Amino acid sequence: MTSTHPDAGTTHTTPTAMPSSTDATGGRTAPARDGRRRKGHRAGKIAPWALLSPAMTVLLLMTVAPAIYLVWSSLRNDTLLGAGGQFVGLRNYQDALTNPAVLKSLLITGAFVLVAVTVEMLLGLLLAVPLAAQSRSNNLAAALMLLPFAVTPAVSAMMFKELLNPNYGWIDYYMGALGLPAHVEWLSNSGTAWLALIGLDVWQWTPFVALILMAGMQSLPKEPLEAAAIDGASTWQSFRHITLPMLAPFLAIALTLRTIQAFKTFDAFKILTGGGPGASTEIINLGIYRVALQSFRIGAASALAMVLLILLSLLVPLLLRAVGRNADPEEA
Amino acid sequence: MSTVAAPRRAVSRRHPASVAGRVLLWAWLLAALVPLVFMVSTSLKPSGIAKALPPKWLFTPTLEHYQSVLSGGAGTSVGFDRLLFNSFAVTVGSTLLTVVLAVPAAYALSMRSFGPRRGISSWILSTYMFPPIVAVIPIFVFAGKLGLVDKYPVLIVPYAAFNLPIAVWILRSSILQIPYEIQESAMVDGATRFVTLRRIILPLLVPAIATVAILSAILSWNEFLFALSLTRSAAKTSPVGIQEFTGMYGTDWGKLTAAATVIVAPILVMTLILRRRIVSGLTFGAVK
Amino acid sequence: MLSFTPRARRTRSVVCVLGAGALLTTGLAACTPSAGGSDTSGGKPKTLHMLYATAEADAAAVQSLVPAFKQKFGIDLQIDTQPYDALQQKVFSESASGSSYYDIMIVDTPWAPALVGKLEPLSKYINNSKLNDMAKTDVADFIPKVFYDTAVYDAKTPNRHFPQATGAPDTGAITKAGFDVYGLPIQANALVMGYRKDMFNDAKQKSGYQAAAGKPLEVPRTWDDYTKVAKYFTQPDKKLYGTTVMAGVGDWATDDFKSLLAGWGGDGHLVGDDLSLKFDTPEGVAALQYYQDLINKQKVVPPGSTSASWDETASLFGSGKTAMTMNYHPLTLDSGVKGEIGYATVPQGKAMGPHFGTWMLGINKNSVNKDWAYRAITWLTAAEQQVTMTKKELHPTRVSVYKQITGNSDTDAAERNFYQVLGDSLAVGVGRARLTNYTEVSNAIAKAVNTAASGSKTPQQALDGAATEVRRLLTEAGYKVPSS
Repeated sequence: MTSTHPDAGTTHTTPTAMPSSTDATGGRTAPARDGRRRKGHRAGKIAPWALLSPAMTVLLLMTVAPAIYLVWSSLRNDTLLGAGGQFVGLRNYQDALTNPAVLKSLLITGAFVLVAVTVEMLLGLLLAVPLAAQSRSNNLAAALMLLPFAVTPAVSAMMFKELLNPNYGWIDYYMGALGLPAHVEWLSNSGTAWLALIGLDVWQWTPFVALILMAGMQSLPKEPLEAAAIDGASTWQSFRHITLPMLAPFLAIALTLRTIQAFKTFDAFKILTGGGPGASTEIINLGIYRVALQSFRIGAASALAMVLLILLSLLVPLLLRAVGRNADPEEA
Repeated sequence: MSTVAAPRRAVSRRHPASVAGRVLLWAWLLAALVPLVFMVSTSLKPSGIAKALPPKWLFTPTLEHYQSVLSGGAGTSVGFDRLLFNSFAVTVGSTLLTVVLAVPAAYALSMRSFGPRRGISSWILSTYMFPPIVAVIPIFVFAGKLGLVDKYPVLIVPYAAFNLPIAVWILRSSILQIPYEIQESAMVDGATRFVTLRRIILPLLVPAIATVAILSAILSWNEFLFALSLTRSAAKTSPVGIQEFTGMYGTDWGKLTAAATVIVAPILVMTLILRRRIVSGLTFGAVK
Repeated sequence: MLSFTPRARRTRSVVCVLGAGALLTTGLAACTPSAGGSDTSGGKPKTLHMLYATAEADAAAVQSLVPAFKQKFGIDLQIDTQPYDALQQKVFSESASGSSYYDIMIVDTPWAPALVGKLEPLSKYINNSKLNDMAKTDVADFIPKVFYDTAVYDAKTPNRHFPQATGAPDTGAITKAGFDVYGLPIQANALVMGYRKDMFNDAKQKSGYQAAAGKPLEVPRTWDDYTKVAKYFTQPDKKLYGTTVMAGVGDWATDDFKSLLAGWGGDGHLVGDDLSLKFDTPEGVAALQYYQDLINKQKVVPPGSTSASWDETASLFGSGKTAMTMNYHPLTLDSGVKGEIGYATVPQGKAMGPHFGTWMLGINKNSVNKDWAYRAITWLTAAEQQVTMTKKELHPTRVSVYKQITGNSDTDAAERNFYQVLGDSLAVGVGRARLTNYTEVSNAIAKAVNTAASGSKTPQQALDGAATEVRRLLTEAGYKVPSS
């Protein structure tokens, strides 16, 4: 029997227990009159769907419906103003998948997600340890920690851009003052442009990971750790063999959410580099935006979008299964 | 050897790892606050010294940039006060819609007699991965055809759709934490599903709903791509508007940072106040 | 003990929820600012709706004319201004949906090839004397290159340019050649060189330059001199540089390059009417080489130039960091910088072909007030109004207007300087290729320019790469590219 959630503050009176039996699946059979049970049973069948349908409608409208349109449109050479509009079969897909620029941008997107999420997970874990440990000064720490997460991504991208300006930016100035190489043209070289973009993402999202892991650590029972300490285990050993495994569900949540979010990144890349220098930071989202909303070649853009969607559909369920296994509350 | 009276910490406070951890934490925090400090301080600096190097720390603050931005006289196509209002309207609307949709759905998905519940839950969570850039194409085309562009619902409904997966997940986890016996008793007493939802579940769900509302509000307030593509002037929100402070004629640091601060301030304040809600919400799914 | 009543309660709850939902949505829809529509009684409308840009086309100038418009026409001119990205999306989606809301829409030249079918052809309006009662259209007064490049299109083959693009525009000749006029140009931006007059006039600088280069310090007229002067003024330790470039990935880099390409004798359109590529040529390589050397060998540009766009360039010159610059609008110096700005046309190579970017006012084919919309745009682009608007920094499109401004001794000298140079530049400027997917093509070329500018590829390699990509893009957009 699960305990009441710690945050449920409302008190309520437990209704007088009525004799009821539970069958194997957890459903109930009530000792009521036949008529009512039949009604209740039917209502029990319709009710979930009725409750679910508004949300499902919106989701279907925003995901399945667009996907259907995209599939249809990707098989044609539609443009927004009506030129084209003929069925062209798989040609848009062929164009997309044989275009080295497109393939490169898919790789770049994948590389960005991989690096950014890895750094954020590691850094988040590192920061979660001190965050979880103390209490008083940590209220302040945790509060400050969360601030970057709340800043509008478009705004933070603009702030970073100004800070990195090699002529006026603070970063350039203080790096010089500290003796580090100055006048780094951050956005002019692909290596430093990558550093800037990953840095921005890490700045914005590490708090998210750190706080999830912190909450996880704080909710872990103390006994195993204390027992291990008594048995003479080192800090590292108890961390690795006790804390980490117990933290698994939290790590899974953080990893999955962050990975999905990372694939959606758009603002930072558009504002900081626009895909440059060269094509080194051209993630697939920028390409889709350009073809769809600046060239208005809807058919071609739809094919690109479908390629992205298919890739995500293959990748994400793998991650979700990991989360699901660890985090489904019904799997006790 | 047993421990004496006070329970011994697993890691002592003066352990080098602990000290290093704290140093790292505060170093990170200080570094992470730099962009925010830059933003706020530059917004208060008179234009002449904004770009001065070394950055000036002692200066007479001025509110001229805020005045200029908020009075709509900053040369943007839509007054910033209007943009803030639009952001507010869209955020409130989408948050309300998210909660109204997610609560019944989460309840439905917690009913043990509802067979497909696990499958549908997984599907809902998986819609979280649907990239907005992909969805924006057909929505842009059809919103244009149906004349829905630049109206609040064209942002409110998609934002609700973006928020739903996480909202349903958090709420469902919360409902599953409520002892099933309570629901059982109510139903045995003759309550229908809807009444159970309203009288029993809802009061217990208030904290989780608060979390969902906050997370939705943050996402809706900060959203950029859909607002960029689907609004023009009437419903334009502030993240899109801030782009106009940099353009062909150069970047006005004072106005840009003032606008940035104005956009970011409400969310920052709310986040500071409601930090615990946000974190507990994100870990609902894993707390057993 | 909790008690419940059966079905009635449930139904009521359902109704409550649905009702609340309906109220919510209706309430939100009602709160939405409404779009409205232009009212017309078949005759003169009460309002005309115009979609316009913001600073890129000097919206403030046009907005200042609204009261005078009301006085002359008795019609309210409602102007909606949008920044570039949003403007393009709006123009396209309004046209696609067949909306009649906007009577007049501003069109940036690269959009026109795709939009031609949705704009009203104006030749029959121009020839109709009854519709020219509010203002004289005087098509012949428009700067020829600007007019032909901006407003004259062949609806059947939109990528064609008008063959004889010299001489005063004549509607008859235009229609005879199978073209038509699709708008009236209102704003013309061209690449113009700006420089610090005070630095060039400074005695110490003059003698220093004379000593270093063996010739007097003058505003450079050749690209060679441009490099020499820029090099002279570059003192990195004092954070001073010779000039600026816009080598970041974006349209601005393409525009920098095509201007240089024209200067080296190439075709600044980048892609010909026959869809052959004009940049992957010896002239293109030479031009790009010059650009690369300017940045990497001579090092006369400030740090960050290979990620710079319009705004950084304007900021850099404005804060006094460079002696020269190239940009598309009049420049200002920051409050802390004491100096004077002069303007000149870009240097001359084998030829001169600064990039120009122009805007025209077109009439929505679906508008229900086309006659009055036509009268409105003739009045807005008429000589008298353009002169008025130059007070708010409009960049005019008529020959007579330039003559008037530059001949008027009352005008501020710096302003006269700018308009003289702008007018001269527009007379020889080069527009863009007319491609429906110009944004993508420009992006491919900008990437190549940026890569060469940063030194990671040789100009030949970069341009070859861009050529392959552009050929692919043209084929994808449905064009038949000639095999090279």
